[in-house]
Amino acid sequence: MTTALELTGVTHAFDDTAVLNDVSLSVTAGKITALLGPSGVGKTTLLRIICGFETPQQGTVSINGRVVAEGGVSIVAPEHRGVGLVPQEGALFPHLTVADNVAFGLKRRRSSQARSRVQELLHLVDLENCADRRPAELSGGMQQRVALARALAPNPTIVLLDEPFASLDAALRVVVRTEIVEAIHRSKATALWVTHDQQEALSCADDVAVLLGHQVAQHGTPVDLYRSPNSRAVAEFVGEAVRVKGFARGLDATSVLGEIALVTAQHGDVTLIVRPEQIELEDQPNPTTPRGEVIASRFYGHDGEIDVRLPAGDVVVARLHARLLPAVGSVVALRVNGQALAFA
Amino acid sequence: MARPLRAPLALAAPAMVAVVVSLVPLAYLVNTSLQRGVQQLIDEIFVSRTATLVMRSLALTLVVTGACAVLGTINAWFVVRSSAPLRPLWLMLLAMPLAIPSYLSAFAWVTWIPSLNGYFGAAIVLTLASYPYVMLPVAAMLRGADPQLEDVAQSLGVSPLRSITRVTLRQVSPAIWAGSLLVALYVVSDFGAVATMRLETFTWVIYGAYRAGFNPTRAATLSLVLIGVALLLVVIERRARGRTTQRIGSGTARHAVRQSPLSLTIPAMGVAITSFGFGIGVPVISSISWTRSSGSVDWAQVWSTIAASFGVGALTGLATVLLALPVGILLARFKGRLNGFTEGAVYVTHSLPGIVIALSVVYFGISIARPFYQQIPLLVFGQMIIFLPLVVGSVRTSIEQSRPVYEDVARSLGTSRMRTVFRVTLPLAVPGVAAGGALAVLGAVKELPTTLILRPTGLDTLATSIWKYSSVSDFGAIGPYAVALMLLAALPTAVLSTVTVLKVIK
Repeated sequence: MTTALELTGVTHAFDDTAVLNDVSLSVTAGKITALLGPSGVGKTTLLRIICGFETPQQGTVSINGRVVAEGGVSIVAPEHRGVGLVPQEGALFPHLTVADNVAFGLKRRRSSQARSRVQELLHLVDLENCADRRPAELSGGMQQRVALARALAPNPTIVLLDEPFASLDAALRVVVRTEIVEAIHRSKATALWVTHDQQEALSCADDVAVLLGHQVAQHGTPVDLYRSPNSRAVAEFVGEAVRVKGFARGLDATSVLGEIALVTAQHGDVTLIVRPEQIELEDQPNPTTPRGEVIASRFYGHDGEIDVRLPAGDVVVARLHARLLPAVGSVVALRVNGQALAFA
Repeated sequence: MARPLRAPLALAAPAMVAVVVSLVPLAYLVNTSLQRGVQQLIDEIFVSRTATLVMRSLALTLVVTGACAVLGTINAWFVVRSSAPLRPLWLMLLAMPLAIPSYLSAFAWVTWIPSLNGYFGAAIVLTLASYPYVMLPVAAMLRGADPQLEDVAQSLGVSPLRSITRVTLRQVSPAIWAGSLLVALYVVSDFGAVATMRLETFTWVIYGAYRAGFNPTRAATLSLVLIGVALLLVVIERRARGRTTQRIGSGTARHAVRQSPLSLTIPAMGVAITSFGFGIGVPVISSISWTRSSGSVDWAQVWSTIAASFGVGALTGLATVLLALPVGILLARFKGRLNGFTEGAVYVTHSLPGIVIALSVVYFGISIARPFYQQIPLLVFGQMIIFLPLVVGSVRTSIEQSRPVYEDVARSLGTSRMRTVFRVTLPLAVPGVAAGGALAVLGAVKELPTTLILRPTGLDTLATSIWKYSSVSDFGAIGPYAVALMLLAALPTAVLSTVTVLKVIK
């Protein structure tokens, strides 16, 4: 497996405000890596550093094994880095047609090779019929697909997507996202995908790097990240978390939710984290089964959530199949399915 | 997002050329004013007559600029956002005062109402002549501004009028300030209107000093004071404009057409009709009646005069645009000391009356470029110095409107910084560049004092012909030239106004 992009110890600040602090990250060629983090954590700055629009004050950026910026000096100009950028909202050139937008980064744009490359890419994003349209005549999702085709056209080492779907409505977002992921996979490109949306990162990427507190907190596959986060902060950021106090003795713990198995061994007082979908209704309760009162219920269609207040006062959230949602005010018995995370 | 601080050499070098070109007059002025020593210079500045001149010029500038900011902004809103019919036509009509030189307007007004002579007349004529300098950039910026912000404001319970003053005016305030600066500088350097109205402001007094007694020291000293006034205006504008308001969010802009209420459209239309009626009606009707009273007209001479005017105008427009492009890009996209310096130098030049620039170019020609003295290249050079700020301003505004992310994308697609300028920045700025070029052509055709002094012997332009006949009140002879100048200047004015605000009305 080759590394398309390697960041080592990248540190950057604007006017004494740290934006990135010792960020190290490597992106494997041929994979989609998501860079997931809350707003204001420096994601966009990191993208601009990779593109070459900012020079990091410390650290090294290498693209395809070549050092492009090091120790506060930009070595390779943005146009020679082989980095394709898909900005928020696409930023298609308004003065050019769709085909001319896609051809923008090609050498000898009037040649027949260039024209067939444009055709190939428009086919890839399923917009062959829009070649002569103007960007203003396209829907937001189509604009994003053209922006991707434009970025892929010169065969960049890596494509950077900067919150590409932030401006699309929710229903469209899932559709466009799927189309974009498929197009990237079909073109066998390497992508770094910046997002603050956990679902987007987990569902679209092969690898996810979580950026928290101006640093990469964890980097792994979506499943790893969700099931075995290495810190409480990551656990709570990548998915909804139910937090309860517990006492651990090796691979299991006691808590207000009863006996719970742990992912990793711990001892003493811990905070246990379970996902709402792990909490289920117990249909054969015994006297020691934890019980609580349903204080709120949210119906989402395919499923739903309830808030349950336990006798000790803790409120836990359970995600249930929609037809299992109990009425508010009723008392339910709960069990925890699978293992919990424990953090000291 | 932080932009790169240092400009590439390909932009910095032309900017330095622009600075040098703009500073030639200053060098001449300082040199000339010091000919009789520093003490003489100080005495000359502090005579009470100078103070009176400053106050009179400032009062005129303040009143005209204020009036133009109001008139220009209302008219811009009217042609871009109101629900009036035929807005493209209105836009062209309202920009037409640009086609009429101030000396012609002033002459028409005083022959109509002789008692208008003086301050009041000059203020009216200059306001009606220069409000398009505010209207055009504001209209262009209004077009680029997001109309949904007004909708948002109204949905938050703000009245239509208040949503314009609280949201729209804030969006376009950089254009209002930039336009007002142009008006202010135009007023302090105008020669035609004040000379015709016999109002003793700087320019007329300087002209008198030059014509009457070969007193170059006094002319140069007064010009230095005038530079001080202009610098003050530039500083005020920079302070007031503050941060530019770039459009945030939303990809390729879609131009939603808003239906503005009639309660706003009708008063705005009243303002528009008044501006047009007095700004265009008075000089046009006068010119037509003069033409009727004229006897035999030497048409061959009229045609050759027209050709000369436009030949010089086209050359000036081309030269000015070529120099203004790199400077406009530099000012819009880069920060740094070079910028403030370049902007200051370029704008200061604009405040120098044409007569002073002409004199300085004469001096420059005699001492350095003698083969070009009283030749077309030197005339074009002098006019280029005058119109550079207009063109730079319009190039810069239109580049500031396009989002920097387009350039980032182009760079990441393998396009070098300079190629990006040609493939992205400039195409997006075409409306502004075209508008700037038209402004320069128009200005050169109308320009009076520079042409009077720098023209090759025997070359008559429309401007010099009108001046010649109006100074002897030869109404009959003036008619054909006045009509020809207005008709011909109407063409670039129409192009200018339409290109500036073209997409609005689609």
